[in-house]
Amino acid sequence: MAIEKNYYTIDPQGKLLCVKCGVPLIKGKAKFMYLDNGFPVELPVCPSCGFVYVPEELALGKVASVERALEDK
Amino acid sequence: MSQIQERGSTHVYKVNRISKEEIDSMAERCVYEEPPFCSAACPLKLDTRAMLRAAAAGDFKKALQLYEKVAPFPLILSMGCEAPCEGVCRLCEVGDGVAVRAVENALARCAPQSRTGLVFRTKKRKTAAVFGSGLFPLFLAGELEKKAYPITVFCEQEDLAAFLHCETPFLDEEAFALELGRLKGKDIDFVFGCEIDAAFFEEKRAQFDVVCASARVAKTVFPDAVCDEALMFFEPQKLVMGCGEGVMAAAFGAKKAALTVDRLAQNLDPRNTRGQEGAIETRLYTDLGEAKALRRVELPAGGYDLDRARKEAARCIQCHCEECLKSCAYLRHYKKHPGLLAREIYNNTQIIMGDHQLNKPMNACTLCGQCTVVCPNGFDMAHVCHLARQNMVSTDKMPLAPHEFALLDMLFSNDEAFLCRPQPGYESCRYVFFPGCQAAAIAPETVKAAYADLCERLEGGVALLLGCCGAIGDWAGRYEMTEQTRAFLDRELGKLGEATIIAGCPTCRKELSDFVSAPVTGIWDVLETIGLPEGAEKLPRPMALHDACGARGDEATQTAIRDLAAQLGCELADTPYSGDRSPCCGYGGLTAYANREVAAEITEQCLERSELPYLSYCMACRDRFARQGRESRHLLELVYGANACETPDISEKRYNRLTLKKELLRELWQEEPIEMKLDFSVEYTDEARAMMDERMILTDDVIAVLDEFHKSGEAILDEDGLMVARRRVGNATFWVKFSLEGENAFRVHRAYSHRMRVEKREG
Repeated sequence: MAIEKNYYTIDPQGKLLCVKCGVPLIKGKAKFMYLDNGFPVELPVCPSCGFVYVPEELALGKVASVERALEDK
Repeated sequence: MSQIQERGSTHVYKVNRISKEEIDSMAERCVYEEPPFCSAACPLKLDTRAMLRAAAAGDFKKALQLYEKVAPFPLILSMGCEAPCEGVCRLCEVGDGVAVRAVENALARCAPQSRTGLVFRTKKRKTAAVFGSGLFPLFLAGELEKKAYPITVFCEQEDLAAFLHCETPFLDEEAFALELGRLKGKDIDFVFGCEIDAAFFEEKRAQFDVVCASARVAKTVFPDAVCDEALMFFEPQKLVMGCGEGVMAAAFGAKKAALTVDRLAQNLDPRNTRGQEGAIETRLYTDLGEAKALRRVELPAGGYDLDRARKEAARCIQCHCEECLKSCAYLRHYKKHPGLLAREIYNNTQIIMGDHQLNKPMNACTLCGQCTVVCPNGFDMAHVCHLARQNMVSTDKMPLAPHEFALLDMLFSNDEAFLCRPQPGYESCRYVFFPGCQAAAIAPETVKAAYADLCERLEGGVALLLGCCGAIGDWAGRYEMTEQTRAFLDRELGKLGEATIIAGCPTCRKELSDFVSAPVTGIWDVLETIGLPEGAEKLPRPMALHDACGARGDEATQTAIRDLAAQLGCELADTPYSGDRSPCCGYGGLTAYANREVAAEITEQCLERSELPYLSYCMACRDRFARQGRESRHLLELVYGANACETPDISEKRYNRLTLKKELLRELWQEEPIEMKLDFSVEYTDEARAMMDERMILTDDVIAVLDEFHKSGEAILDEDGLMVARRRVGNATFWVKFSLEGENAFRVHRAYSHRMRVEKREG
């Protein structure tokens, strides 16, 4: 079986809680998409409702820099 | 809420070609790379400026190396050259030109020589012979040795000293010894004591690939020999030959001859790709304003020593044209002269696949046109950047992100905040007041007071139009949006009849004049005619006037503003770069959105011109100066005694426009605006408010997120005990960290956004 590539991984380690479902977020599969480019990642996801959490550091760091790079393509 | 369609993909493989001629016609206006006058006048193309710079810095070895590049025998050249460079030195216009030849002579005599002779060099395979003696054979042998030809000189003299002495009687003993040393150090074979006649010549020439001769030998061997001076060549006999008299003629002749030897050695026509040879015209511009040390360093009988040579070289003003770089913080930021930057920006638009690394510089120009005024050749960087932006938009390669906030702001101005009404009591009006989007956003009370005054003192009715003139779309290169905006405004203005537009902003005045058929004037022109209203008051201290870039080339507006300031009694101090030479405040061209760093540098440079409070007549200038901490006033604030808000943030600027519209509708047209009521309340920490302004997040965006949470209950509880909710609005996902402060009351602590979409994936 091919090893799946992940560009970024965050494990919430039970520290985040989904308010709606009342369950801790777990490390789950998610995907960033921008300008027709996709990036598989592992982010905190609610196992019940599927809410994907993008922490501030990630949004302003890695995500922002990839956005800039793609915008200049 | 308005939205703009993001481009669908980065995989767009098309470009709209810009012709090379179009690029050249613009880029060639920049004279930065033109040679200085001294080098242009030198047939040998000596980089005099660099040589003098090195000498002035005390790096005599490097200075001599630069001189030796064109002069294999620098003492002979410096003592015999006619020095055309000295006559064209720009310092001659204000004092003494630099004594270049005396500096060269000092370098040739006293500077440490580089040890090139010891460096192993691979020789060329083709061989060359030089017949005869004198300056031309000497220089040519030096040039060919530099080019690494195996070279043999056939001369009549009995030794090297006699060969050198021929035609160099002007060398004193010391100079002769030095040049003899140089000649000995060169890798040239000599055959002395030759009796050069036709038979000898014919016998020897067969042994070499290329043959050269002095004019005298050429005439002896071929009495009909005529030298083609451009090539130093007698073509029928394939003979490279000398002609002309004097040191410079010999040195220049040897340079041309060496190139001819190159071509012949390659079996090419000697006319092939020779480039520009000899003295040329230069278009370089030099500002002599800062020229100092106008008198030459005294020249002793024995010439300069190195110390005096250094002092004389230091008088060189290093001619170069940096007029635009001096005045434009944007060009200085990128450390590039506009000719080069323009070519790079054009090239950026022509990239089919890969990174467009010049997007940022392309979007950082304020399009203000200052460079065109200060450049002696009228270089137009604004045209270059504007055309490049439009080109990128046309091929769907232009990123939306740098301009999206401003474009949405334009749509907001012409949608939710838009208002177009005739004066109450009138069906059609003679005038329509168009204060501009920034005036409504930053100084709503000033707009109200100005409108009330115009209604009261102008006859025939004054309509009001609150909206954006379309400059934002135009600056972003979004020609379709611009056209739509213009068509919309044209329709709305058309409803008012042929009302004369009274613009409150010089940029609006210029933009509107471009597409509306009705006459457009400025409120400053109207005030000049009808006089100042009662209560108009100056600031009781001197002010520095900042001319708006929107009024560049508009002398009438600049004069009217000064007249009004004088009527107010303002004490105005003139600043460097005023009038047509005024820089942009950093808002123009959307620089403030696309590149905050450059915009801040531009604003800072504006403020460096004076310590005084600034008076401006563009609300964006007023706002940017105030944000930078300087006391700042718009002329209309003084005229109407109604101050602008001090540094409103991006949300307040929107709120101000909406509130102005609502209040005017209520107060003047007795219309009750529809208020959207939220079923929750929101408050912001100071940190959140500052963060939102910095990150270009509006309160509307935050409310949209909280509204979504209010309905769906979807949020995360983070480690700090704060709730985090999100919502996709337009092309961005906004995240808000908040706390619950009782039922239906939120306190916002942080907010951030990203443009990427994110979703759960299966597997």
